[in-house]
Amino acid sequence: MPDAGCRTPNAGRQTPGVARRARWLLHKTARRAVPALVALLLVSSMAGCGGGRDAFPNQPVVLICPWAAGGGTDRVARQLAVSLEGELGVPVNVINATGASGVTGHTRGALARGDGYTLTLITAELNMLHWRGLTPITPADFQPLALLNRDPAAIFVRKDAPWQTLADLDAHVLANPRALKASGTALGGIWHVALVGWLTQIGAPADGVRWISIEGTAPSLQELMAGGIDIVASSLPEARSLLDAGEIRALGVMADTRVAQFPDVLTMKEQGVDVAIGVWRGVGVPAETDPDAAAYLARALERAVTGSDFREFMRQAGFNWDYQGPQEFTATLAGLDRRFGTILGSEAFADLGKGVVGPRVFPAVLVTIGLLTLGVLLGTRQLGRTGGLDTFSWHGAARVAAVLGAVAFYLVAGESLGFVITTFAILLALMRLLEVRWPVALLVSVLVVATIYQVFANVLRVPLPRGVFGW
Amino acid sequence: MNSALLQAVELALLSPYVWLVIVVSSLYGTFMGAIPGLTATMAVALVVPIVYFMDPIPSMAALVTLTACALYAGDIPNALLRIPGTPASAAYTDDAFGLTQQGKGDLVQSVCLLASAFGSIFGALVLIALAPFLAGIAARTFSVVEYFWLYVLGLSCAVVVSRGSMLRGLLALVIGLLLSMVGLSSVHAEARLTFGRPELYQGINFIPAMIGLFGVSEILRNMFAPRLSDLAPVPEEAGAAGVADTTWRQRVASAAGAKATTQGLPFLLRQRWHFLRSSSIGAIIGMLPGAGADIAAWVSVGLSKRFARHPEEFGRGSLQAVADGSAAKNAALPAAWIPALVFAIPGDSITAIVIGILMMKNVTPGPDIFTTQAPVVYGIYLLFIATAPVLLVTGMLAIRAGAVIRRTPKRILLPVILVFCITGSYAINGSPFDVFVMGAMGLLGFVLDRRDVPSGPIILGIILGTPLEERFIQTLTSTGGGLLAFFGRPMAAMLGLIAVTLWVMPLVLWMRERRRAWST
Repeated sequence: MPDAGCRTPNAGRQTPGVARRARWLLHKTARRAVPALVALLLVSSMAGCGGGRDAFPNQPVVLICPWAAGGGTDRVARQLAVSLEGELGVPVNVINATGASGVTGHTRGALARGDGYTLTLITAELNMLHWRGLTPITPADFQPLALLNRDPAAIFVRKDAPWQTLADLDAHVLANPRALKASGTALGGIWHVALVGWLTQIGAPADGVRWISIEGTAPSLQELMAGGIDIVASSLPEARSLLDAGEIRALGVMADTRVAQFPDVLTMKEQGVDVAIGVWRGVGVPAETDPDAAAYLARALERAVTGSDFREFMRQAGFNWDYQGPQEFTATLAGLDRRFGTILGSEAFADLGKGVVGPRVFPAVLVTIGLLTLGVLLGTRQLGRTGGLDTFSWHGAARVAAVLGAVAFYLVAGESLGFVITTFAILLALMRLLEVRWPVALLVSVLVVATIYQVFANVLRVPLPRGVFGW
Repeated sequence: MNSALLQAVELALLSPYVWLVIVVSSLYGTFMGAIPGLTATMAVALVVPIVYFMDPIPSMAALVTLTACALYAGDIPNALLRIPGTPASAAYTDDAFGLTQQGKGDLVQSVCLLASAFGSIFGALVLIALAPFLAGIAARTFSVVEYFWLYVLGLSCAVVVSRGSMLRGLLALVIGLLLSMVGLSSVHAEARLTFGRPELYQGINFIPAMIGLFGVSEILRNMFAPRLSDLAPVPEEAGAAGVADTTWRQRVASAAGAKATTQGLPFLLRQRWHFLRSSSIGAIIGMLPGAGADIAAWVSVGLSKRFARHPEEFGRGSLQAVADGSAAKNAALPAAWIPALVFAIPGDSITAIVIGILMMKNVTPGPDIFTTQAPVVYGIYLLFIATAPVLLVTGMLAIRAGAVIRRTPKRILLPVILVFCITGSYAINGSPFDVFVMGAMGLLGFVLDRRDVPSGPIILGIILGTPLEERFIQTLTSTGGGLLAFFGRPMAAMLGLIAVTLWVMPLVLWMRERRRAWST
């Protein structure tokens, strides 16, 4: 059945003569039209792939966000992308390269091509991860272009907690070391560092309050409400709703001056504890980026960040807007990096992760259960082959290998040949392997690749490998 | 309150602009949910810069409709291609796809659509009736211990529902949990099982894993057929396609898919008590921040198997599993808004975006949102209900469009699906490593499938492994190491008891059977 490719099940139900004639007509037209159609579609699939102007930037810019879609940093990134698009005149696409507490995104951003087309939304973790030995990437691997905001840390307790002021809490912590529990982020995260900063200032040991490693401010606040912990350290806007509802109290904010949107929250400095720690967000490009492109981007960023749209967004979203240009931001980063080095190098963080349950315990337990299960299954002969398509054949195995080979080809060639060529080759090769006739295989390949490319890259603007040709 | 309700009706239901937003976002949401690799979260993140410029009610209309439709649409490739569009759909992938293979494709699609739509309405009614009351309870009772037991329960259900023996399900679960350990562990601040490869630091993303374990392994299974002629198209519905539509009206109805879409209704009506149970489970679990639709679907299918008349069908082609899972996942969606609206505690990344947008509109979530911002809150309620009929219509069109896939010859379809799998996996993070994960998981799923080891528990293991370990360690660190802490609070003790029973019961039954076998 060599022509199965274009036959529909319904064709058989029509009268044989009509079907034959229709198929013949289809063949005749297909043979002439397909090459022309293929060429036309290939051209149209490239539409909107950029490339008219010579000056930088003439193709879409990528903004890497090291944190998940929906979080605070992601929202800032997406709003910045909108404002920056207006300044640059080319699309700015946000990519969430998440995972490993920010290592993934920062690493990918620092190692990107230095052509100015990859920006990274760098965050406070850039100052911390390398001191903890989690990544070799340091602030020196980036050219900082613009600081966007700074949010100082604050300390919160439940509404029914006995401590009315920071002094009450200080006294309690000093009198009862290791009695209270706190969270706000994972072990060694920014809010943990802030809490240790406060403890050190009041003369308590760095583990005077036990840190429960809960990733994220929202689940930490939930835990505070549920009574599992006593203190949450986080930024003020993240706790705004519970604060406004009177469910929790802020005892002090770790900044030199009060935060404009929270005038009632006293600074720690006012209460005699001199500590200023917080998060920041900024934009950077890889260190060896072309200086002209970097300067162009820095000017565009300055206009975007200081523009009224972005400032209004930051104000409404509760972020503490704070712009600094490249020089000033570079100096700020270097200073912060030294300060975090001192805190994270202290003995408080030396035995980080040496908790009750070590990192090998869970995997070991799982391997044991897995081996036991496997043993019982094999022992009772329950792992036999099943299913109708059981018979082994070299043809079948070759086809399976071809599919896996197609995936491997995408991995090897995708980034250099680009999405369009790679997927076109995969589709065509696999369909030919399954003996789909040439005209049908060509037509389907072009149609599918063109549609996916247009929808993904141009309408939805999700990332696809660009390759040397830009598509 | 009444004036606020009237105002909400006027804002949400009588404005043509809002309806336009609803229709457009339902089409967009259905599309995003139906394409493997494009998720509801991504759909929401992509429209954030647009909805930011809208008024509160239209922007909420966009988000409510789009998430409900995307969550439903995950069922379409689930039944057609064996690729769950969302992790929640993975709870009944083998059932839905199995039924499609048996030639009951239209029926499955219809049940999914109707159960999702009714589940959404049920969840919205729960949101309306109990939001402020339940939110307080949930926030004050659920600490890390309770979450630990909840995750254990969800994982246990994944083992219970899987086809064949529980041991094979357990093996799959352990594989999934081990895969979740790969990468940087935030509780330990240490990288594990990475073999020095920096790519493995980020861990194994469950979306490419899901596409690989289900979609790619299905492609491989088909490709493994000895002869090309074995790649037969899926059997057509008996009586559905064969009978010609004679009158004009019938033809229109059949083109719109109305007949095909409503054929699941009698089944659902017969199953109404099961439906109520599943939707309630969905609403309750959905309300707990961080648990959400995934666990809801699994727990609901697990319970459904316990009460089912034909438990042996589960995992191979049980319509009841499809109906119960589908209803629970969509009922969980409105419920997830409860903690978000009342305490600004987001249950998932979608509600996190919702909170962000509400704050931008100067609507601050909090317990007093019901008094200070009543029109907005009632508007959201009404939108959840108004979405259901739109979902039905969009779903009908989507099913109709999806039916083309069933008629496409597999030798064309398989390569195209592979390209979609690759594109979707890449698009999640723009990372080639995710494509590698997809390929590797495809091979793993293919091998395990031939030994009748289910893939569903692997997915849930990858999703819940990290939080399970974190909650375990958090419980121990906060008590200083006592194992009694796991039963130290009333709710924890209750959940723990249920979970332990779930595991001990089969063991006791098995021992009793053995003893009886010995005595005879």
